[in-house]
Parts: sequence; structure tokens; C-alpha cells
Amino acid sequence: MESIGDEKRIRALFSEVRFADEQAAPSFTATWHRAQSRALRPRRAFNLSFVTATALLILAMGGLAVWSRYTQPGDMKAVAATAAANFSVKISTQLDEPREDPEISNAAVNAQRRLRTPVRSQALNVARNRQAEQQAKQLANWQSPTSSLLASPSDNLFKSLPQLNENANEMKSFLPNRSNDKEK
Amino acid sequence: MKDDPMEIAELKTELERLHSASFGWALSCCRRDRSDAEEVLQTVYLKIFEGKARFRGESSLKTWLFAVIRKTAATEYRRKLLRTLRLAPETETPPDQIATHEHPASTLERSEEQVYFQRALRTLPRRQREALHLVFYEDLSLREAADVMGVSIGSARQHYERGKRHLRESLSQMEVGYGINWGRKENPSAV
Repeated sequence: MESIGDEKRIRALFSEVRFADEQAAPSFTATWHRAQSRALRPRRAFNLSFVTATALLILAMGGLAVWSRYTQPGDMKAVAATAAANFSVKISTQLDEPREDPEISNAAVNAQRRLRTPVRSQALNVARNRQAEQQAKQLANWQSPTSSLLASPSDNLFKSLPQLNENANEMKSFLPNRSNDKEK
Repeated sequence: MKDDPMEIAELKTELERLHSASFGWALSCCRRDRSDAEEVLQTVYLKIFEGKARFRGESSLKTWLFAVIRKTAATEYRRKLLRTLRLAPETETPPDQIATHEHPASTLERSEEQVYFQRALRTLPRRQREALHLVFYEDLSLREAADVMGVSIGSARQHYERGKRHLRESLSQMEVGYGINWGRKENPSAV
């Protein structure tokens, strides 16, 4: 009974609120027209955060591209420089000899220049092969600094096989006489 | 929706019929903030106009419209909260507390009991407030209220019952101080 009375009371209070809201409600036409004008209004094409994120991404990718472009040739140059330093004497003697001749023509110089690139690459290959050989040798000859600690005077005992026949013969004297047991 | 002017005209008539109820519901979803409620209602009409919100006849138009209003209000609330947190961290007050921009005159006109009632309503959890509003204010059944709230009927019933109990309790506490006869048993023999 009490709860029904409460419900009625709540309903009455809500209907009071509804009445007040109805009085204060904006007209439908005005709201509808404002919504329509919002629909017709040109919207901002880009979201600011989206633009910022895209710009950052493009910058990062551009930076990466520039970095990769300028770092890779540098490394190649460094390799070439080291290889060239090893064989600079040899190459220079091979290439510079004709230059010292004052009678040599420009055409011959150009031809030698054209030859310079394959010669240099060949020299680089030779240098690389030699370096690889040296490294392989070093690896093959490498010994652990603690390998001497593993060696002991009783290594022969562990490394050689035991002679089983001899041991068995020696053990026979200690075994009980089985034939005597059977007779009993 | 834009391609079919007949359909939109028909819908417009229905929306006009439901406009004041929609505004009341928008007010409730926006914590009685009038300007927010108007903004939400505009956005809802815009969604319908642009065809982003489409009525497929799966429920009654009123239930569908109220569900759209509720969802839009929640989105707007989240957006407003985010904007408040991002732009003005020093004035960090949740919109829940900023809300009630009611005209002072209208507040004065109200009865004392109504003021306490509004205050008690504001203390209720959102779901309970919604359930009570939909049932008592909008005269919806619990099934329809559940559809609008996007919950099962059992859950809606629970929110409704708890809301009613909490409302009664808060009003009873208030009446102690102000002598309002809330929940008084009718006594016909009393003169």
C-alpha cells in the first residue's frame, strides 16, 4: 500500500517535471532547421590530430629514407678505403707508371681510366679474400687459454680401453668353485 | 534517407510529435543541462537527416529515437570531458558537476518538494535515474525502457526497483530536516 502511494507520488513529481520541461522545450522547427543548416555547412576536411599524426609519420619516413641513403655509401667508401690502403702501393705502381711517360696520349689515359674501375674492384676482391683467409687461419689455430688446465697425468687411463680378459683371469681365483657346489 | 523525401517528411512529422518527450529525455541524459540537451537533440536530428541513424522498424519509433538520443548524449559527454581534460587541466571539473544551468526563476517557482526531488534524483546512479525517468516520465513499459537502455528486461527491472528504493530513502532523509510528508500513509479517519 505504501509502495503504491510512493509510486503515485513519484509519478506526480515526474509529471510536474515533464510539464515544466514542455514549457521550456525549444520549438521543433528551430531545432530541425539548425540541424539542417549544420548538415549543409562545409565541414573541416581534416581532423587536426589526424593531420599531426600523418605529418609526423611522413617526417619520420623521410628522415629514415635520407639517413639510409647517406649512410650506406659511406660504409662502402670505408671498406673501399681500407682495401685501397692495403694495396695502394701496388695499384699506384700499376696505374701511375704510364702517366710518368710524357709521350703518352690523352686517349691512352682515358683508356687506362676506364680500366681503373675493374682493376680496383679486382684489387678489392683480392683484399677481401686474403682477409678471409687470414681470419680462417686464426680461427683454426685458436686455442683456449685454459686448455692446459684440462690436461692431467692420468689422461691415458681415461683415453685407453681396459683389457677385460686379463682382469677376468685375475678374478677367477676369488670366485667360489661352482662345480663343488653342484656335487654337494 | 536523404534520397527519399517522402520518408523523411513522414519521419519529420513523427519527430515533431515526439519532440517535447525527446527534449525531456535529452535533458535527463545531459544531467538537466539545457544547452547540452538542445545540442544533443540537434545532433540526433542531423544524424537522422544524413541517414547515419536509420529506423529499421525493429522496435517502436519512440524507443529507437530515445536509444539514439541516449547514445548521442553519451558520446557528447565523453567528448566534452575529453576536451575539458585536454584544454583546461587547471579547471578540471567533471561536466557532471557543471551541469545544471537552470534559470533561477524557474527554480524559485518550483515547490520545495520538487527541489528536493531533483536533488535526490541527481544522487542516483545513471542507470537507475534513466530507468525511473523512462517509466515515470515517459510512461514506457519496462520492456521498452530496457530496449532504450540497451539492457535486458531483468536488469532494467533491477535498476528500476533499486532506483525507486534509493529515491524513497533520500527523500525520507530530506523530509526529516524539512518536515515534508513523504511516504505518509493515508489515514481516512484522520480529520
